[in-house]
Amino acid sequence: MVEAFAVASGKGGTGKTTSTLALGMALADSYDVTIVDADTGMANVLFHAGLSDAETTLHDVLAGKAETREAVYERFGMDVVPCGTSLSGFRDADPDRLRDVVAELAADTDVILLDSAATLGSRAAVLPIVLADRIVVVLQPTIPSLSDGLKVQEYATTYGTGVAGLLFNRVTDDEDIDAIAGKAERYFEGETLATVPESDAARAARRAGEPLLAHAPDSQAAAAYRGAAGRLDVQSGPSEAVAERFQRAVVPDEL
Amino acid sequence: MKLPSGRLVRERVVTDLTTVLATALDSGLTGYALLESQDALLLDADGVGVLTFADGVPAVAYHTGTDSAGEEALADIAVAGPYRLELYELDDAALAEVHDTDPMTIPPELPAEQLAGDPQLAERTLEAAATEQRDESDETTGDSAVEAFLDDEETIAEIQQRAREQAQERAEEWGFRR
Repeated sequence: MVEAFAVASGKGGTGKTTSTLALGMALADSYDVTIVDADTGMANVLFHAGLSDAETTLHDVLAGKAETREAVYERFGMDVVPCGTSLSGFRDADPDRLRDVVAELAADTDVILLDSAATLGSRAAVLPIVLADRIVVVLQPTIPSLSDGLKVQEYATTYGTGVAGLLFNRVTDDEDIDAIAGKAERYFEGETLATVPESDAARAARRAGEPLLAHAPDSQAAAAYRGAAGRLDVQSGPSEAVAERFQRAVVPDEL
Repeated sequence: MKLPSGRLVRERVVTDLTTVLATALDSGLTGYALLESQDALLLDADGVGVLTFADGVPAVAYHTGTDSAGEEALADIAVAGPYRLELYELDDAALAEVHDTDPMTIPPELPAEQLAGDPQLAERTLEAAATEQRDESDETTGDSAVEAFLDDEETIAEIQQRAREQAQERAEEWGFRR
């Protein structure tokens, strides 16, 4: 039984990768969690998970040069599938293989978190949103971020993907986040899972190559992510159904 | 809003205004930016967002399409990207009258927050503003602009509608069938 979430935001800099790993670690208390760096154009997960020297990455799998299991690393209580950073790796990678990779991983985990690209500009960037059961929208309380979050939601719902909830991230004290979140919820399908304060701990964690929950488990931000994980009602579908849906999601022979 | 013509220093199409705001701040630009939306479906296609700078610090905002001023204008500019940008230099004296027009005044850090979503740039802008001992309206934060945006159901419906249409068009283009 598995549910696949794409962690998405239209805009960069919202802390998507930090959020993906933090949610993953919090969920790992109750579920088998697999994190996939589905942002194949701008790999990030490896830097956050101490995997910058990983030999085999998702790029190799998407290029047909390695088996999926070779790119799976057990870190921080989760299975992590990082992407590589080389341009040639990106060029050789066939994004369509992602669906096979996710289908394969789905057989052996409860929750898949797809860290997706901060753009809706290309097919590869949107693919994780198509593949996922639901998205978690990471937002900052700014107009560009909310506006992009709305666009992401429209893409998701157009492709039959649900909205699991909103994560307001990098929230500063001078913002009336309750008022903003309350108003934003009128337009989004999911509820607010958490409001995560702007935090030096998140930057320090990234520099240390550790997920926030490992680096600063007692920080306010970490507590907020644990709260978000608690609010996320994981609705596991049968693994076969997920795998089958991935097969149907794309028309590979036309590409 | 009447602005004397300035000297054109930059002209290009941009999707992200971070660089523009940072460049203006770092070069201490006094002048104005004209931001014309390349997205004809949003707002008034003829509308141009105007943002003025004094010594690199944003001072007033205005939108000719929606006739909005100040924070509201900024909200209108924020949803309208990508933009064709024209950046002009203009001397202080020529801008004085505009800069004294209260309803158009914006907190200096607001464009960095709302248009660029860059807290560090916002902070730098605030510091620069303080250094220049310009008047700041501390009590006015960017939140009211965000809330005003969320109260604007019509604009949000336009964003949603357009994204939906785009998603449908691209589903075909990209071979998604769900």
